Amino acid sequence: MIVKEWCSYCGECAGVCPRNLILVRETELEFDTGECKECDFCIKACPVNALEKD
Amino acid sequence: MITTDILVIGAGPAGSIAAKHAALNGANVLLIDRKSEIGAPKRCAEGVSIEGLKKLGIETSPRWAVKDIEGIRLVAPNGTDVWLNDDTIELPEAGYILERKVFDKHMAMDAGRAGAQIKIKTLAKEIIKKEDHYVVICEHLGELIEIKANIIIAADGPESRIARLAGLKTGTKIKDMESGIQFEMCNVEMTNPNVLEFYFGSVAPGGYAWIFPKGEDIANVGLAVIPTDTDKTAYQHLLDFVANCPATQNAQAVELNVGGDPVGGVHKHISGDNILVVGDAAGQVNPLTGGGIISGMTCGKIAGEVAANAIKEENYSSKRLYEYDKLVDDELGEKMKKYSKTRDYLASLSDKELDSIAVAFQDVEFEEVSTTELIKKLVKVSPKALLKLGKLI
Ligand SMILES: Cc1cc2nc3c(=O)[nH]c(=O)nc-3n(C[C@H](O)[C@H](O)[C@H](O)COP(=O)(O)OP(=O)(O)OC[C@H]3O[C@@H](n4cnc5c(N)ncnc54)[C@H](O)[C@@H]3O)c2cc1C
Repeated sequence: MIVKEWCSYCGECAGVCPRNLILVRETELEFDTGECKECDFCIKACPVNALEKD
Repeated sequence: MITTDILVIGAGPAGSIAAKHAALNGANVLLIDRKSEIGAPKRCAEGVSIEGLKKLGIETSPRWAVKDIEGIRLVAPNGTDVWLNDDTIELPEAGYILERKVFDKHMAMDAGRAGAQIKIKTLAKEIIKKEDHYVVICEHLGELIEIKANIIIAADGPESRIARLAGLKTGTKIKDMESGIQFEMCNVEMTNPNVLEFYFGSVAPGGYAWIFPKGEDIANVGLAVIPTDTDKTAYQHLLDFVANCPATQNAQAVELNVGGDPVGGVHKHISGDNILVVGDAAGQVNPLTGGGIISGMTCGKIAGEVAANAIKEENYSSKRLYEYDKLVDDELGEKMKKYSKTRDYLASLSDKELDSIAVAFQDVEFEEVSTTELIKKLVKVSPKALLKLGKLI
């Protein structure tokens, strides 16, 4: 997952991830991509469009 | 390894008050947060009720209660407005506008003064269940720390990662997560800078837009949408709102805030062996307004007390801690159902229906009018809207 520079680490993406795969640090997102089923809810929920599939 | 009776993960308002009341009731408490500054960045429009704070025994301070609010203005898509004041009707989030960055810190300080230890810049990464306790693996400035706790209070906000790691189903479905976005602005030309303004309809699909005043010309201007109800991002909706709203034609943004707000109601199970869940992490948010400060803190206080008593009894089983679920249900259950129904009703109305309802209620003196009269008015202006209301009830 590409995290754009304007991400503000609000954690909304992590809240809607059905598999709990996103760890939010103060200024970093960590994705457990191995388990990801590509539902894309994280991308859809982001208020500022800061996530993009790589 | 650090050892504690109770580990509170997350120093938002719900976590801090849980830590405070657990400490006041004699437990050994550690409160951690991943942030370097508790309360910042804010993710909130900062409206809070006076009654709610009073009930929690919190004395208001001018350091964080920055504006008194005396009413609300509801604005329909065509601009028709309905004014309500707090003598007329119970207004859940009206009372004060906070400075959350100061308020959250103040609440954490309250916990510290009550005896809780506080560790900032400490991220809980993993939890390991042992027979009668948890070991939590944390990261602190590049170092890994293990914390052994008899009870975890998970107060980690809308992500609710910790409770899910413990096997509780506290994730939020995307249809129940409001995507919130807001500017703090100056030069906002409000009709009355002492009232909260709410804008309904397609301006914010699934949610609403707001102007919450913080000063004569300063306000939080924001909105929340349900992401699956729109093709645009919350940010695009906000730009449209600011461009079209008469109050913000000359407004300038000095801060951008974003965040998710779980409005699906309290999760079914908010406790388990050695764990309690509070605040947004537990879904303790008013589904209609998205307000979660007072409800989260009310439940945080309950959690702190229940956890401290369980520590005294040396019983941290799910059976013992279930008392918390019951007390939360007594406190919020009925109210949440009512607000959830009202939210569904509002979401079902078209812009046209909202306009006609606003026109009908524009000059109503709410304290002098009975429910029957309100229904009569509704049937006159929009029988369809009344039918939808009937179906819901
Ligand atoms: C745009 C917007 C506007 C809002 N407006 C209002 C309003 O006007 N009135 C109102 O009442 N409510 C409002 N809310 C809701 C309100 O902000 C929340 O309900 C409230 O902040 C919830 O408090 P909390 O303590 O549960 O969680 P939070 O305030 O989210 O605190 C959670 C804390 O946990 C920490 N954390 C998370 N994970 C970890 C981890 N793994 N390790 C360590 N620390 C962690 C975070 O850093 C954070 O400090 C709004 C929400 C949004 C998004």
